[in-house]
Amino acid sequence: MTSVARLLRVRWTRRVRAALHWWRASLQVRVLTTTLTIGLVVLALVFAYVGDRTAQGLFDERVQQVLGESARSTSQAQDMFDSATARTGSEVQNLLTDVTTAQRTGGSGERDVFLLRAPGQPVSVPAVTAVTTGDPKLVDLITPELRAATAEGGQRWQSVGLPTADGRVTPAVVVGQDVTVPVVGGYQMYFLYPLAAEQDRLDFLLRTLAFAAGALVLLLGTTTYLVTRQTVLPVRRAAQVAERLAAGELTERMPEHGEDEMATLAHSFNEMAASLQDQIRQLEELSALQRRFVSDVSHELRTPLTTVRMAGEVIHAAREDFEPAVKRSAELLSTQLDRFEDLLGDLLEISRFDAGAAVLDAEGRDVGDVVLRAVDNASPLAERRGVWVSVELPEGRAVADVDPRRVERIVRNLVVNAIEHAEGSPVEVRVAADSRAVAVVVRDHGIGMTPDEAGHVFDRFWRADPARARTTGGTGLGLAISMEDARLHGGWLEAWGRPGQGASFRLTLPRRAGITLTASPLPLVPVDPDEEPAQRPLARAGIDPAALPDLSDGDDLSEDEKDGVARATARASADEPQEVS
Amino acid sequence: MAAMKGRVLVVDDDTALAEMIGIVLRSEGFEPVFCEDGDSALGVFRASAPDLVLLDLMLPGKDGYEVCRLIRAESGVPVVMLTAKSDTVDVVLGLEAGADDYISKPFKPKELVARVRARLRRSDEPTPEHLAIGDLTIDVPGHRVVRDGEPISLTPLEFDLLVALARKPWQVFTRELLLEKVWGYRHAADTRLVNVHVQRLRSKVEHDPERPEIVVTVRGVGYKAGAAVT
Repeated sequence: MTSVARLLRVRWTRRVRAALHWWRASLQVRVLTTTLTIGLVVLALVFAYVGDRTAQGLFDERVQQVLGESARSTSQAQDMFDSATARTGSEVQNLLTDVTTAQRTGGSGERDVFLLRAPGQPVSVPAVTAVTTGDPKLVDLITPELRAATAEGGQRWQSVGLPTADGRVTPAVVVGQDVTVPVVGGYQMYFLYPLAAEQDRLDFLLRTLAFAAGALVLLLGTTTYLVTRQTVLPVRRAAQVAERLAAGELTERMPEHGEDEMATLAHSFNEMAASLQDQIRQLEELSALQRRFVSDVSHELRTPLTTVRMAGEVIHAAREDFEPAVKRSAELLSTQLDRFEDLLGDLLEISRFDAGAAVLDAEGRDVGDVVLRAVDNASPLAERRGVWVSVELPEGRAVADVDPRRVERIVRNLVVNAIEHAEGSPVEVRVAADSRAVAVVVRDHGIGMTPDEAGHVFDRFWRADPARARTTGGTGLGLAISMEDARLHGGWLEAWGRPGQGASFRLTLPRRAGITLTASPLPLVPVDPDEEPAQRPLARAGIDPAALPDLSDGDDLSEDEKDGVARATARASADEPQEVS
Repeated sequence: MAAMKGRVLVVDDDTALAEMIGIVLRSEGFEPVFCEDGDSALGVFRASAPDLVLLDLMLPGKDGYEVCRLIRAESGVPVVMLTAKSDTVDVVLGLEAGADDYISKPFKPKELVARVRARLRRSDEPTPEHLAIGDLTIDVPGHRVVRDGEPISLTPLEFDLLVALARKPWQVFTRELLLEKVWGYRHAADTRLVNVHVQRLRSKVEHDPERPEIVVTVRGVGYKAGAAVT
C-alpha cells in the first residue's frame, strides 16, 4: 500500500511540476489562466448574488399573495361556518368537508386545505375528525410550533419543504388561522401552497444566467488568448531571430510592419542586429588585415633573411681561408642567423595561432611512428648531451586523426626540452592508446621544477631560471606553440615536476575529431617504485601501477600529487596559483 | 659529372636573392638564368629551355601560380617553388598549379642545391625495364606510360612516383618513404607534397579518380600500387 501511495505521490508530484513548468515557461498560458481565474471568481460572485436576490424577491412576492388569499379564504370559511345550521356530529363533519373542498379550489392555483382541531380544544363530539383535501401525510408538515403560534391568534405562516412524487423536495408555504366551527368549537384552518412554479422560474433564470456566464467566460478566454497571442507572437519571433543571430546568421532580421509598439520593437531589434553585424564585419576585416599583415611581414622579412642566410653560409663555408677574428665572426654570424631564423619562424607560427589562421591538417596516422620520427630528429642533440632516450610503444598501432607535422613538432619540443634539462640522466618516452585517446609521456630525471614553475612552462618566453637559460638555446616559444598545437587537436598538454626528481610532460590526443577527452591512457605523475616509497603507497603495496586507474586525472589525485600537476589545457588553467608543498 | 649539371631558370623579383642564388648555383656547377617578373617569365623560359625552374610565388605581373600553370601547360620541366608562406593554402595552391616541390624561405644553400639536384637526378637504368600497374604499361627507360596503346602524358615527377609504386607492387609506401624515394628528402618533410601529387597523378591515370584502382590508399599507412591486369 505504501509503495502504491508513494508511486502515486511521485506521479502526482511530477505532473504538478510539469504543469508548473508549463505555466512558468509561457507568458500566454500565465495571462490566460490568470484572466480566466479572475473572470470565473467574479462571475461566480455575481451568479450567487443575482440568484439569491431573485429567489428572495420571488418568494416574498408569492408569500404576500398567499397571505392575502388565505386570509380571504379563511374569512369566507368562517362565514360559511357562522351561517351553518349543523347540529349533530355527522352534520358538522359534512360541513367541514364541504368547507375544505370549497376552499381548495377557491384560490389562485392549486393548494391543499387542512382543518385541524386547535391544540388544547377538548374532543366534545367524537365523530368529528380533522379534514384535509390532500395527502393526510402532509399534515406532518404543519409543525407543532406553527400550530401553537396559530393558536395565539392571527395569521401565521411557515416555509416548508414539500416532498414530491419523484423524491425531490420543492419549497412550499403553510399559512394557518383560527376558525370557529359550530358545535365543536375552535379549529385551525391551514393552506399549503407549493412554490413549484416559482422554483421553476428561478431555475430557468439561473440556467439562463449560467449560460450567459459560460458564454462570457468563453468570450473572455478567447479574447485573452487572441490578445496575448498578438503580443506574444512578435516576442517569440524576436526570440527566434535573436537565437539565429547568436548562432551566427547575421543577416537574420525581424519583419517590420505597422507603427505600433511591436513594430518599434522589431525596428530597434533590427537596428541592433545591423550594428552587431557591422561590428562583427569590422572585426573580421581587422582579423583578415592582421592575417594579411602577418603574411606580408613573413614575406618581406624572409626574402632578405634568405639572402643574408645564404651569404652567411657562403662566407661560413670559406671561413678556413680567413684570419681568426673574421673566421670567428663568420661562425657567430652563422649560428646567430640560425637562432634568428628559429625565432622568426616561431613568432610567425604563434601569431598565426593568435590570428586564428592555424588550420588542422588531420589524417589518420600512427602516433607511434610520428613519435619515433621526432625522437630520431632529436637524436643528434641527445648524442651531444650524452643522454639516453628510450621509447616504449604500445603493442599495436596507435592510429589517431592528427596533423603529423604538428604532433611531431610537439613531441620534438618535449623531447628536446627533456634532453636539455636531463643533465645526462635517461629520458623515457612512452606511447599508449585506449579506445578514445592516445597519450605520449616524456619523462626526464634531471633538475626538475617546482609545481609553481610547472604552471608557467607553457607561458611565452618564460624561463625557469634566467641565469641558465642562455646556454640552452631555444626560442622560448616552443612549449607555447606546442600547447597551441595540442589545443588545435582538442587535446591536452600537461606538465608535472619536482625539484631534483625531474619532470614529466603528457600529451593526450583524441583518436577521432569530436571526441571530448575525459581521461588519458597514461598517468602524468610518474609512479616509480624506487622513488620515495612513503609518498607512493600504491607502489609500496606491490600492486601493479598499470592495473590501477589513472592516478593523474582530476579528483583521483591525492592532494600530495595534485599540487605538483599543472594542467594547462582548456579543462583547467595552469595560470591558477599552485601551492608549493 | 659536369654533364649532369643543368640550366636553372630563377624567377624572382628580389634581385639580391636572385643574385645570391646564382652565386650558389654557379659554385655547384649549374648555369643560372634570371627573370624578374611574371609577365616575361614564359618568354625567358621558352628562350632558355632550362632543365629546372626556381619560381618565387609573389611576382610583379603574373603571380607564381599563373606562371607555373603556363609552364606546366607546355612542359614537364621540374618546377620548384620558392615560398615565404608555408601555410597550407599557399603551398597546396602552388602544388596544384603544377609545382613539383617547394622550398620555404629562409633556406640554406645546401637545401637549395639538394632540392635542385634531387629534381634533376634521373635514374639511368642500363637495362630496358617494363612495368605493369593496373591496366597501364610503363616503359621506364623510354619514359612512357601506355594504356591500350594510347600514351598518357605525365610530368617526370609523376612518372617517378608511378614507377616507384609499380616497382614494388607488394609494398605499402608510407608518405615519408615516398618523399625519400621520389623527392629525395632524407629527413621528414611536408607530406602534403605526396598527397597533392598523388591526386594529380590519379586525375591523369585513373578511370575514376574518386575510386582509384592504380594508386590505392591504405588508410593510416600510405599508398600502394593497384594489382596489374594481365
